[in-house]
Amino acid sequence: MSVLDLENVGVRLGDTDVLHGVTCSLDARTIAVVGENGSGKSTLARLAGGLVTATSGRIRVLGLDPEREASRLRRGVSVVFSNPDAQIIMPTVAEDVAFSLRSEKLPCVEKARRVQAALERFGLVELADRSAHDLSGGQKQLLALCGAFVRRPGLVIADEPTAYLDARNARRIADHLFADAGHRLLLVTHDLELARHCETVVLVRDGTIIATGAPDAIIATYEEALRC
Amino acid sequence: MLTLYRPGTGLWHRLPAGPKAAVLMMIVLGVCLLPVSYTSAAIAAAVCVVCYAVPGTGPRELVRQLYITRWILVVTVAGQLLFLGPEEAAANTMRVAAAVVLSGLLALTTPVSELLDALERALGPLALLRIDPQRAALVLAVTLNTLPVLAGLARDVREAQRARGGGQSLRHFAMPFLVLALKHADALGDALTARGVR
Repeated sequence: MSVLDLENVGVRLGDTDVLHGVTCSLDARTIAVVGENGSGKSTLARLAGGLVTATSGRIRVLGLDPEREASRLRRGVSVVFSNPDAQIIMPTVAEDVAFSLRSEKLPCVEKARRVQAALERFGLVELADRSAHDLSGGQKQLLALCGAFVRRPGLVIADEPTAYLDARNARRIADHLFADAGHRLLLVTHDLELARHCETVVLVRDGTIIATGAPDAIIATYEEALRC
Repeated sequence: MLTLYRPGTGLWHRLPAGPKAAVLMMIVLGVCLLPVSYTSAAIAAAVCVVCYAVPGTGPRELVRQLYITRWILVVTVAGQLLFLGPEEAAANTMRVAAAVVLSGLLALTTPVSELLDALERALGPLALLRIDPQRAALVLAVTLNTLPVLAGLARDVREAQRARGGGQSLRHFAMPFLVLALKHADALGDALTARGVR
């Protein structure tokens, strides 16, 4: 099953065609989306996450129609953004992770077990009762990732998740994103080294996908374009 | 930050959120219904001390709560002294103090997620009026959690003003603060959707 199938998809926000004529079929465990600021990368990621609606064309995410099968899509897809502050919903670390499971009809014991397992995996156990807003930037992003992974999504969409982080924290976040936990990854990034770790790279320019393929070839094309 | 919850294992911590809220409400109501007298003021104070004597809270926390509410108490006692007299001032101010600090026990000893669950159950009948109790409880939780974020945004705007040599102009503060707050609201909406909230 493809991660993302797009047929002549367009997204219009206000008076601007942010995406237009996007056609692609992406099927890989890890996919990077690269491109200049304002090229439409984030909108593509938000489209895949069901956060914006296509104004034209046909879209399938993990074989699901984001409009007609929105609730199934939400269960299968988690999104992580670049700004971790905007992702904190609950006051403490453990409660914020548990919040991700509110919409799932799980017994309390199972919820607690999954939250504990996720906190352990992301090294947040000792911070469980700490105020989420008092964490450092790296810890907040780990928390956001923990909240995303606790739902055991089939697809994780990460929109520049390392943008605000130092090299060490960026490495930690990348390690978790690329760890094989049974999920697929759609990563929007300006970090071309991270993009090189992906199986497939998508190059977006002026609101449309202009190239898709193996990382080395696509990144070389992108770097060439940046030099012009 | 509005994380008032202090982890613990005392009696108040072990009580489920719903019954605890009901018990505290009854105590507050009892204190408020006492006649206006110095004796009532003393009883209200004693009730607060006893409630905070339970392990997991303690008298230090009681003092902290009173310190937090000091200006409310000062205004109350001043107004009452001015218009009613010392006995009424003592009794009524003690009522206000008791209501605030006893209500505080609920937030101090209950995780927000449990409060949210209890609130959802309490708001259950609203479903008859086509109001989603889960959504109503969530709005409250998100509102509480957004206050520190807004405070942080306000600080950022003030720092940016100072960094660029600006003064304390309200107009120059309000516009960027409003824009940032709206952007945060957008991002929070996305975060909620991304975490499965419809």
